[in-house]
Amino acid sequence: MANRHQRILLAAVLAACMPALALSAETDEPVIFPEIERREINPAAIDTEDFEIGAFAGILSIQDFDSEVVYGVRAAWHVTEDFFFEANYGVSEGDLTSYEKISGGAPLFDDDDRDYTYYNLSLGWNAFPGEVFLFDKYAMKSDLYFIGGAGSTEFLDDNWFTVTVGVGYRLLLNDSFTWRIDVRDHIYDRDAFGEDETVNNIEWSTGLTLFF
Amino acid sequence: MISLQRLVLSLLFSSLSLNTAASDEAANDEQYLQSSVAEPYIEMRTAPGRGYPVFYVAERGELVTLLKRKTDWIKLRTYRGIEGWASINDVGLTLDSAGQPLAIHSPDRDSFTNRRWEAGIMAGDFGDTDAVTAYGGWHFTRNFSLEVNLTENFGDASDGRQATVDLVHQMFPHWRYSPFVTIGGGVRETSPRSSLVSTSDRTDNVASVGAGLRVYLSRRLMLRMQYKNVVVMTDRDDDEEINTWQIGISAFY
Repeated sequence: MANRHQRILLAAVLAACMPALALSAETDEPVIFPEIERREINPAAIDTEDFEIGAFAGILSIQDFDSEVVYGVRAAWHVTEDFFFEANYGVSEGDLTSYEKISGGAPLFDDDDRDYTYYNLSLGWNAFPGEVFLFDKYAMKSDLYFIGGAGSTEFLDDNWFTVTVGVGYRLLLNDSFTWRIDVRDHIYDRDAFGEDETVNNIEWSTGLTLFF
Repeated sequence: MISLQRLVLSLLFSSLSLNTAASDEAANDEQYLQSSVAEPYIEMRTAPGRGYPVFYVAERGELVTLLKRKTDWIKLRTYRGIEGWASINDVGLTLDSAGQPLAIHSPDRDSFTNRRWEAGIMAGDFGDTDAVTAYGGWHFTRNFSLEVNLTENFGDASDGRQATVDLVHQMFPHWRYSPFVTIGGGVRETSPRSSLVSTSDRTDNVASVGAGLRVYLSRRLMLRMQYKNVVVMTDRDDDEEINTWQIGISAFY
């Protein structure tokens, strides 16, 4: 009943407004500018910053071949706040062995064979996330992480299956730039001197990375 | 009521240009998504991680700007200009301009079932040698995916590098323990070790069949185990057959 009353009332109101509408149509000037701006919400449009790339430099202790400068590049994918995948590629060059230095004889290996390159595919765990406070003004996120993986070492003209384990520290200077310090041990079995031996090549490095 | 006030205020500000910084910020916010808090409050943390302290709570009805995302955290800016990180599940409950929840959430079993991309690393045994593999896959249906595998193996007699493209079929994509079968082909480069009498590197075609299991762990992570039988089509009289067993960890997107 009430519904019908409403309908009658509406019809009456509409009828009363008709002349006004007709008038406005004649003048060709719209009374109302419809500015309904629907914002498209597309969650995929949120900028994600889960990838990290960067470069590092440091010292690599190549067992039997002295400690040498190492530098390289790395890329990481942060899958959760706790875990990340990381790929590393580094180059260095072994020096003379102690024996070669002392004996003074002909070197055992060609210079080219002393080029040391490695890569590894690793999984990192941000075990101890934290925050660093600098003066009164700055609070920066930090992570102490453990990392382990497998890859290859090319040295003395051969490739060796290499397991890498390490610990590192990442300080986020802002949301995008980070400073990293890493200690990693590259472990592999080498038979370059005739018999199999397990070698540990410890690497200290520092570097900068960018989240994007 | 609050939004009316804000509208009036923003009109005032923009017309009088009293606060250029605020209007600049508002202009910048144009390119970001905005939503309003629907729950009693939303917690904002100092950094993207569950352990970081909550330093601000935005109230119901407050308009927040979604600046960026890191893993399962979203950086918000309130209309007061306060910036902090909120969990994606909390942000998923906020409302867009049409009053609908954003409905974004951290990856779960459903995301696992409906994943489009995955990538991972594996290590294991490749015909009695050590091997490491990186792979990436694209799911063009829930059951089928195409994968690219790069493997390097290290033996006493030779090293090898192998690239294959595989078609992968998973029968039960909605299972937590999801088995799959693969078939594929590619190329393999074999280089004898330097300690052996030097024979040159050789490149051969390979074909493989395999089966394996993916296990959904949590969030984006899954465990992957697989067996593959690889046939290397050499120039010699007999083809070489290699059994490979690998285990690894992958993530999906």
